[in-house]
Amino acid sequence: MSALALVFTSQRLTHLSGIDVLILALYFAVVLFIGFYVKGSTNTSEEFFLAGREMSAWIAGLSFVSANLGSLELMGWAGSAYQYGILATHWYWVGAIPAMLFLGIVMMPFYYISKTHSVPGYLQLRFGEGSRGLAAISFGLMTILMSGVNMFAMAVVMQTVLGWNITFSIWIGAITVAVYVMMGGLRSAIINEVLQFVLIWAGAALIPILGLIEAGGWTNLKTQIAANVGSNDYTHLWATLGSFKGNPMGIHWTGIVFGLGMIISFGYWTTDFLVVQRVLSANNLRAAKMAPVIGAAFKMAVPLIVIVPGLLALAVLKNPDGSLMHLVPGDIAKATGQHAYDEVLPLMLIRYCGPGLLGLGITALVAGFMSGMAGNVSAFSTVWTYDIYGAYIKKNASDKHYVAMGRWSTVAGMLVSIATAYLVAHASSIMDYVQALFSFFIAPLFGTVILGMLWKRATRAGGFWGLLAGTASSIAMFIYVQTGGKAALARIALSPDAQPMAENMYRALWSWLVCVIVTVAVSMMTKPKTDEELQGLVYGATVIPDDGAMSVWQKPIFWAGVVAVVFIALNVIFF
Amino acid sequence: MAEGTGRGESLSIWFFVGVMTLLYGLVLLPYGAWEWFGGHEANTVLHQLHPTFWWGLLLTLFGGFYTFRYKPRAGDAGRA
Repeated sequence: MSALALVFTSQRLTHLSGIDVLILALYFAVVLFIGFYVKGSTNTSEEFFLAGREMSAWIAGLSFVSANLGSLELMGWAGSAYQYGILATHWYWVGAIPAMLFLGIVMMPFYYISKTHSVPGYLQLRFGEGSRGLAAISFGLMTILMSGVNMFAMAVVMQTVLGWNITFSIWIGAITVAVYVMMGGLRSAIINEVLQFVLIWAGAALIPILGLIEAGGWTNLKTQIAANVGSNDYTHLWATLGSFKGNPMGIHWTGIVFGLGMIISFGYWTTDFLVVQRVLSANNLRAAKMAPVIGAAFKMAVPLIVIVPGLLALAVLKNPDGSLMHLVPGDIAKATGQHAYDEVLPLMLIRYCGPGLLGLGITALVAGFMSGMAGNVSAFSTVWTYDIYGAYIKKNASDKHYVAMGRWSTVAGMLVSIATAYLVAHASSIMDYVQALFSFFIAPLFGTVILGMLWKRATRAGGFWGLLAGTASSIAMFIYVQTGGKAALARIALSPDAQPMAENMYRALWSWLVCVIVTVAVSMMTKPKTDEELQGLVYGATVIPDDGAMSVWQKPIFWAGVVAVVFIALNVIFF
Repeated sequence: MAEGTGRGESLSIWFFVGVMTLLYGLVLLPYGAWEWFGGHEANTVLHQLHPTFWWGLLLTLFGGFYTFRYKPRAGDAGRA
């Protein structure tokens, strides 16, 4: 009994039956088996850090989209859909699809033919050691801290939903991930991400299917939501974005299009090494270009299992007495005992899924958390080994030495993550700061990389100072809004009606502009590299090799066009 | 070469996808049948549609197809 008491706490949404535990145990058995199975093919650094560069477009593409499909995102955005309505879909469509297509068609050739091992590695080739060091240290630190935050978040979800003890969840998840990433490196992580993608759909797709049956279809759902919230605003993607006041999110369309669609999403999807690493594992140039296009096609479908459940909850989620259930922000939920926005996905899962299906849904959430951790820790070990340890601590060591360093840095990274998780557990405000820290670097980094790839005149000094200035300006704006309150927010987001969500968009936009302006200004005052030195790194100085497509059906640009047409059609349909 | 698992391996990544979903299907399908035909339905919304049985059947078919399609064949191992 005492051992069980260590594992379970009394408050929980539901409990697992024997068949659910069997389904969860099968998942753990399979992922550990995969780790041991692929260890034999993970002996060189290229195999450990880049999965041997032998992944097909489908595997790299699914892994690419799956690396961003963590459970925290799923639950958080389902909660946002409940809170803000269909506007949350922008983070899956305009906030992802154009950037993913741009990565595949425009940027991937340079990442791929430069044979870089990482995004900081590309910066080293293009702008020198200063930019590489800045990007590598900030990425490594943030990635490992984020891994700890995710670990803690997973433990809280497991405690809320199943009553699992926080320490039990943290250590079981961390040990399993550490074992399979240490054994198989990126290859293990990618295989598990593909499995997780299938599992997420297997575990969550029933919610929108049964929910839409219960609600009587999409048209009836919209009618019920309008009646329950007293407004039509929750089911329009663009029609309400003409003013900050006209929509539940308190944001203007310029923030969505320029801040989210052009800066934040391009920054994340094209320069965050966590996702780019998956595509670098592709087995040829065409696969590397196709992988983000395939990822974009699947990404467009994700709102079905994330946004639709949040919207359904506005119509069908009821209290035991039959009255409509009202979810509230997390801090209010703690005080009142109501359910929080972020619990909407588990609540909908419990609504429709009995024993067996519930286990499948919970396994999908656990898989999402674990593959998210694996993604963080595998990207960390690559950047640590290549761009920090190999660049500044021990140059010219043997390949075997670097593989060993990769394995041990996986374990060390996981231990730092665990320590971060406990730190967050004792001071939850740290979580907000760690998440904010990540946003400081992404937008300026995109400015540096895109100028580096598209503008021959950008110089080594320009790249470094632009990146530094953009990052510093983002940190300064964050501190300004934190200390200056609503007046400061109104200045950054250009409106007194702006909500905190708008601050991220405009801060990203301004910090990107600062980075670009400083990069251009400093570049114009410093000596550029010659075309020979920029061969394989920049448009205009590089002959892009043929990707080997024999027919229109094999051309990545054709499929990118198809995805773009569907993307535009979806935005018009749900306008 | 087995796709995704490395040169020289015989089990492809798609085989693992198949095996995992097949296993889940084989767990859910009989359980769903027991719920449906034995009158043991869980007290969930729309349980009268027997989602466990139908979802189990779907996973069994999907997993079975992938397992069979990507099962290791003689000569796969060691072929780079």
